[in-house]
Amino acid sequence: MNRGLVIQLIATGVFYGTPMAIAALGELLAERSGVLNLGVEGMMLMGAVVAFWVSRNVSGPNGLILILAVLAAAAAAALVSLIHAFMTITLRANQVVSGLALTIFAGATGLSSYVGDLANLGGSPGHHIMNPINVFGLKNLPILGPIIFDQPALVYVSWVIAVGIFWYVNKTRPGLHLRAVGENPQAADAMGLSVTRCRYTHVLTGGALAGVGGSFYTLVISSEWTDGITSGAGWIALALVILAFWRPAGVLAGAYLFGVVSALGSNLSARGVALPPEVFSALPYVLTIVVLAVVAGGWGRGRFGAPAALGVPYARDGG
Amino acid sequence: MTKRFPGVVANDKVDFEVLSGEVHALLGENGSGKTTLCKMLTGMYQPTAGHIEVDGEPVVLHSPGDAHRHGIFMVHQHFSLVERLTVAENVMLGWSSDGSRIRFNRRRAEQEVARLAEQYEMPVQADRTIAALSIGERQRVEILKAVCRGARVLILDEPTTVLTPQEAERLFASMRRLAKAGNSVIFISHKLHEVLAVSDRVSVLRRGVTTGTVELGDHAASVDRKDLARMMVGREIELGRRRRVTRAQPAASAGLEIKELVVHNDLGVLAVDGVTLDVAAGEVLGIAGVAGNGQREFAEAIAGVRPRTRGEVSVGGTEIRSGRPLAALAAGMAFVPEDRMGMGLASGIDVAENMVLKSFRTGAFSRGPLIRRGRVVDNASSLLEGYQLRGGPASLVGQLSGGNAQKVLLARELASKPRALVIAAPTRGLDVGVTETVRRLIAEAADAGTAVVMISEDLDEVLDLADRIAVMSGGRITGIVEAQGADVEEIGLLMMGQVRAA
Amino acid sequence: MRAILPAIPIRLEKRTDRTPRWVLAATPAGAFLFAFVVVTIVLLAGGHDPLQTYSAMLQASVASPSAISQTLVSATPLLLTGLAAAVAFRMGIWNIGGEGQLYIGAVCASGVALAIGAHGIGLALPAMILAAMIGGALWAAIPGLLRAYLNASEILTSLMLNYVAGLLLDWLINDSNSYWRDTSGISAYLVAHGKTIPGAADWPVIGSGSFTVPFGFLVGLVLAALLFVVVRHTWLGYQLRVTADNPGVGRYAGMASKRNFVIVMLLSGAVAAIAGASQVGDFTHILDPTGLQSPQYGYTGIVVAALGRYNPLAVVISALLLGAITNAGINVQSATFPQSLTGVIEGVILFCVLGSEILSRYRVRVGWEKVAVAA
Repeated sequence: MNRGLVIQLIATGVFYGTPMAIAALGELLAERSGVLNLGVEGMMLMGAVVAFWVSRNVSGPNGLILILAVLAAAAAAALVSLIHAFMTITLRANQVVSGLALTIFAGATGLSSYVGDLANLGGSPGHHIMNPINVFGLKNLPILGPIIFDQPALVYVSWVIAVGIFWYVNKTRPGLHLRAVGENPQAADAMGLSVTRCRYTHVLTGGALAGVGGSFYTLVISSEWTDGITSGAGWIALALVILAFWRPAGVLAGAYLFGVVSALGSNLSARGVALPPEVFSALPYVLTIVVLAVVAGGWGRGRFGAPAALGVPYARDGG
Repeated sequence: MTKRFPGVVANDKVDFEVLSGEVHALLGENGSGKTTLCKMLTGMYQPTAGHIEVDGEPVVLHSPGDAHRHGIFMVHQHFSLVERLTVAENVMLGWSSDGSRIRFNRRRAEQEVARLAEQYEMPVQADRTIAALSIGERQRVEILKAVCRGARVLILDEPTTVLTPQEAERLFASMRRLAKAGNSVIFISHKLHEVLAVSDRVSVLRRGVTTGTVELGDHAASVDRKDLARMMVGREIELGRRRRVTRAQPAASAGLEIKELVVHNDLGVLAVDGVTLDVAAGEVLGIAGVAGNGQREFAEAIAGVRPRTRGEVSVGGTEIRSGRPLAALAAGMAFVPEDRMGMGLASGIDVAENMVLKSFRTGAFSRGPLIRRGRVVDNASSLLEGYQLRGGPASLVGQLSGGNAQKVLLARELASKPRALVIAAPTRGLDVGVTETVRRLIAEAADAGTAVVMISEDLDEVLDLADRIAVMSGGRITGIVEAQGADVEEIGLLMMGQVRAA
Repeated sequence: MRAILPAIPIRLEKRTDRTPRWVLAATPAGAFLFAFVVVTIVLLAGGHDPLQTYSAMLQASVASPSAISQTLVSATPLLLTGLAAAVAFRMGIWNIGGEGQLYIGAVCASGVALAIGAHGIGLALPAMILAAMIGGALWAAIPGLLRAYLNASEILTSLMLNYVAGLLLDWLINDSNSYWRDTSGISAYLVAHGKTIPGAADWPVIGSGSFTVPFGFLVGLVLAALLFVVVRHTWLGYQLRVTADNPGVGRYAGMASKRNFVIVMLLSGAVAAIAGASQVGDFTHILDPTGLQSPQYGYTGIVVAALGRYNPLAVVISALLLGAITNAGINVQSATFPQSLTGVIEGVILFCVLGSEILSRYRVRVGWEKVAVAA
């Protein structure tokens, strides 16, 4: 395999990994506050369809419309995540069931598809597409050029988000509160921090980021809308959060790894390598299971395990 | 102040006043309304009628945050600490020394907390995670948290239950220092001698009503312990006298034998380190010691609930295999764990089914793979009647009061007429009435020939009930003393890990 | 009285008494009514005539014997996956791997049918069900064992395994020359598809004329009754309920909670796998990766189970309800009722029921507790 191909693979991996990474960063925030949201796929699809709607139906300068489309995607997905937040935080419903319900409600045979039907979005291309930006004119730089300096704007946005989340979680007071709420909401409450507000904020922000991730599919990867266009990226995002031990840097690395691996799969089979492409596709899931098994017990738990209050509804009376 | 819950008046026109610069003890049996009062003071609950004044100003406290703004803080028995965060991060939760609302600099926070710890003479290491701290250190972090935030009223809820006598002394010194600096300290306790040792004034709550406030001041000695106790329970109780005077003669038959027991805890850390004990049939052996010194693992290991690393346990001469609760059960072992609702009873299941938790496999309650519901219910009804318990067989255990739950648990365990009984924290959190019943049942079981191991942090209880007292510290038995005429000072030293000279 | 209060919150007070019966009965009814209102609003917002839509739904689902038969077809997989989810969730075990267990069941059942189907239904039917159950149980054993012995969250591991199982389906039919793939003719290479099982292995259809009941549905009914008895009246069910309520108590009473955990996963996986067997035996007669994956029977089964509050008998009713909605989505499929509405309606109903559940455990109060402050 030559060097050009490797660089090509990595650049593709970064490209395809980005939407999953953005959605996973959002899920990371929700989970860090103690709320598991299995509805990522549904929220991404809502983001995708709304972004596409904007790209199709709003006219204006290209850049502005794209920004508007991404923001609308974020708002739509945040709105959907509000249902989950209300169900699990205010009404203390089971997070697993509510999250799955969200995916069914908004997913490929739900609201996102309904919106697509109503607005007649299928079959024809959108009017705006996000092209790679030749940053500082460094596109042709050897090795790093194609990987770092020739990507669409959302890739750079995802880096800003990742760094921002790292800084937020570790170096700010609200981030400290977030960690406390996800680990021990009773203690946070006793210190006068609002568990409810913290969880709502992060579930909604998580939803918004899932929407942004979803918009990548209809603004960057494809210029058409089809039902279920994210094809399972939301579930990979869930896996990524675990693989990354709930840390933003790990999310990016994991997403790119999966991007590379899936690109590698189709590349290899095109070159007549016998390994079936399903093996590569299964890798994220199998890796996640292995990580879960290793991290869950004994030594790994304290350092790399899930937030202690993840999945547990909080009520002052302990109910 | 009045607080009503659906169907109950938890506090009825309670008047309670704390002055600055005093340590004010709040006495009262469980269920007397202390908790409710404190929850109102800290903004967890709102009063149904009446009000709270701080410095003469009426205030409305909607949340703990409101209470904090008025300088009211509470240190609960269960600490509000985030285990995976460091001491500094815990102290800085929702508070900052420099008023910054966004930036959080961990190293600066650690320096700041270290400085504060020194200033208030409460040494802790600011950069360690809570998970790595001892109970005493965690308590210090809790107090530090409150003090940093400008606490003027500090409520301590039974702070000494988890401490050694020496650690408690240290805590009392801190309390007095805080009061001297002009703060108010509300000290909630069950233990009269502690209250007398540290408080300026004492208020007593009973059935949601304040029954009186007593000035201690310099006349501490003159206050009659019995008076206070009477105010608490509304009748005379006997203090300082052994309830169990008829000590059974050690029977010839073997009771419970424990040889060279070694047990590890859930994290794989050595918890019980070579304990050998013989308990005769009809004897009550008390295990005294500060919680967390291996008692829990010890109890679970002899009851077969936890695997032993080494050592032998036998009941009535029958050796019990390690980690087999059913084998222990078959040999005649009964076990009342300290964590009643966490281990002894399933709260979402009804009383009847809880009563057959250990006997549902027998022919009496099952046929083939099916459970005979009719018999299960009959069994529960007769036990409920026998132990004078309110509530029907179909009520959920979670809806019982703590006292009734403990009675259900004891009823089930004693119903099998066990050869050996391991009972941990028998009366923790129970009111005086139930406490007496539970102690009577333990004494009766011993008199009927059961070998009883009673693990309790309440030294008075152990002194009252046990024939011999084994003191546990650091997973070892540091000494065994006869309960009759035992020297409390000496027991305290044994609890600190000082091994008794042979 | 000072009347200036911050935002008025919704407060939940835990019920200290037993929930009154009327509340238990009224909450689901109220939830459905509320869901009905919400769906009507959605329809209006989408420019549909709600009356027309509802009548089309009824037409398609219950108005005639053949419509009811169609509803039963849609309800069959939901009943089985719903039971699988209910038995696990009732025990506090979050098996969301019903989806993957269903695929594995379909793989096993179709494999057996291809091998011995020609020997007649008397042999093929039990063999298909048995093979599916074994396969599904083993597949479910992976998250079960990982949870029991390594403490890895079964929610996430069982979820991940769904995708692995789906990829296995794809590989068997699309990217390999497996036993399941039809490799006989040219058309088979143009569009990859599975081998059709021998006609003798097709599951019998019960009923006459236009009213028919799939055999798989009857299997589901029997299973519902069996599971109900197991949960309520057997040793196993008793131990499982105790352990689900409080694992510590299970350990204390000498119940093998790890073993029980794995048993529940095996049981749940086996039941979900029967849904896969039924898809092959009752309906498709081939192993069809797309047909098995796109309806998401496994996930919808969790909705079915939640609607039935994890009670096996109530699951029958909720499976019929969601079966009717799904069926309307498939068969009406027009401007009046786009298929995408099924997800919306299912979601709305579940959210309403889920939200209403809290009413049975808590009293809901709006506003602050009354606070009297001396002026």
